[in-house]
Amino acid sequence: MSQNESPTSARVLIVDDDENTLEILRRWLAKEGYTTVSAADGQQCLDALAKEEFDIVLLDVMMPGVDGMQVCERMRANPEWRTIPVILLTAKDDMETRTRGMALGVSEYLTKPINKQELFSRLRAQAHTRELDRRMDRTAAAIAEMGDD
Amino acid sequence: MAVTMENFVIKGSHPVMEKILQVAQKVASTDSTVMIQGESGTGKELIARYIHAYSRRANQPFIAVNCGAIPPDLLESEMFGHERGAFTGAVGARMGMFQLASGGTIFLDEIGEMTSTLQVKLLRVLQEREIRPVGADRTVKVDVRVVAATNRDLAMEVEKGRFREDLYYRLQVIPVLLPPLRERRSDIPVLVQHFLDKYNAKHDSRRCTIADDAMVHLWEYDWPGNVRELENLVERLVVLSEDAYVQVDHLPPNIRSFISEKKIPRPSLTEEGIDLNKAVEEFEYRLIDEALRRTKGNKQAAARLLGLKRTTLVAKLRRKGGGANQAEGYLI
Repeated sequence: MSQNESPTSARVLIVDDDENTLEILRRWLAKEGYTTVSAADGQQCLDALAKEEFDIVLLDVMMPGVDGMQVCERMRANPEWRTIPVILLTAKDDMETRTRGMALGVSEYLTKPINKQELFSRLRAQAHTRELDRRMDRTAAAIAEMGDD
Repeated sequence: MAVTMENFVIKGSHPVMEKILQVAQKVASTDSTVMIQGESGTGKELIARYIHAYSRRANQPFIAVNCGAIPPDLLESEMFGHERGAFTGAVGARMGMFQLASGGTIFLDEIGEMTSTLQVKLLRVLQEREIRPVGADRTVKVDVRVVAATNRDLAMEVEKGRFREDLYYRLQVIPVLLPPLRERRSDIPVLVQHFLDKYNAKHDSRRCTIADDAMVHLWEYDWPGNVRELENLVERLVVLSEDAYVQVDHLPPNIRSFISEKKIPRPSLTEEGIDLNKAVEEFEYRLIDEALRRTKGNKQAAARLLGLKRTTLVAKLRRKGGGANQAEGYLI
């Protein structure tokens, strides 16, 4: 898949405690061809991850209960979730929060207000790497087949 | 073995890199042709050397040919050698890279730059496992593993008729795809530390470290030149550092300003063109939204921040329609 190819079929989990933000993100992403599932807080996000597979998680940081950073920690500790790229969408613009995001291995850090084109370009990049990952699986399978011949 | 030193560089800890290295290791045990695709600076030659180092050919030569750096009319004799008198200046016979790589691996970088005439000849080499030096009337058998690389989208080149489809499929037996560094951002801090260690070791007395906020700037930057650009910068920072402590001020301006530019992206003119009025309007709305956010919706204060009369701001808001966070293209 070329990186500029659009629309994409990637499945995105959107997590934000603000219903208005969720609605806008849902609309934007749907228009670009993404399949989305919404979660209103960190716990709902973890529940959704346990239930379904996702290609990318769009994650707010400040949420009641389990916050975005705690979600990242749990995702990194779980072998099945640790490979899912996380894009943080946050109003927090300070170096301390950025440093935490970096330490937790998040894929992108975007501060609100979010620019739509910027968000799309970051989403496309992560969807591209997920696609690349799947193609490497196919390559590995092809090599294994060659070994069997 | 040279590759040991570099192993870590291509390793990284990003899941996709782990997978790529696993594939590289598996493919090393076969003799198949490998095609490595990735942007410039992503480490294509390192992967090729890695495959060679883990193959049964490890003790034989690894020969790298940059097909884009050698003038097209010389490339054929560089690759396949020539007979004495084959062309003006060919005073003696000379072996080509394929013969020099005998028993080992030949790495053909920037394969997409090869002329169509040479593409036909390479296809023949891959099919027959023999080469014909320029000016020779006989062919010579060669036992060489071919690893090719490109930073172009070769499938697209095939579609446009610039690259032979049959050669493409011959080369594409095992495709290895390297992601650009910005798509595996989590590896950046690991790589920065690795290069700091590497260049500290080269300069005996250096114990150069980096401030957390400087590291964040490196982490958020998009690295169009990928790992190579990152390595060059870290080397420069280590060499030029006066107090062995890299801070934000020591970083190049384009990296320092990157975080703020991400918030108000520099408009870019795409191939399809843009709608200038719409782009200007979007930029305007973005600043209006930012001003309203900072003043918690106080239009008088927001207008002052923007150097506008309140009435002008209200008129603009009316034209824009909807609330602050319905601004087309932005989300507060």
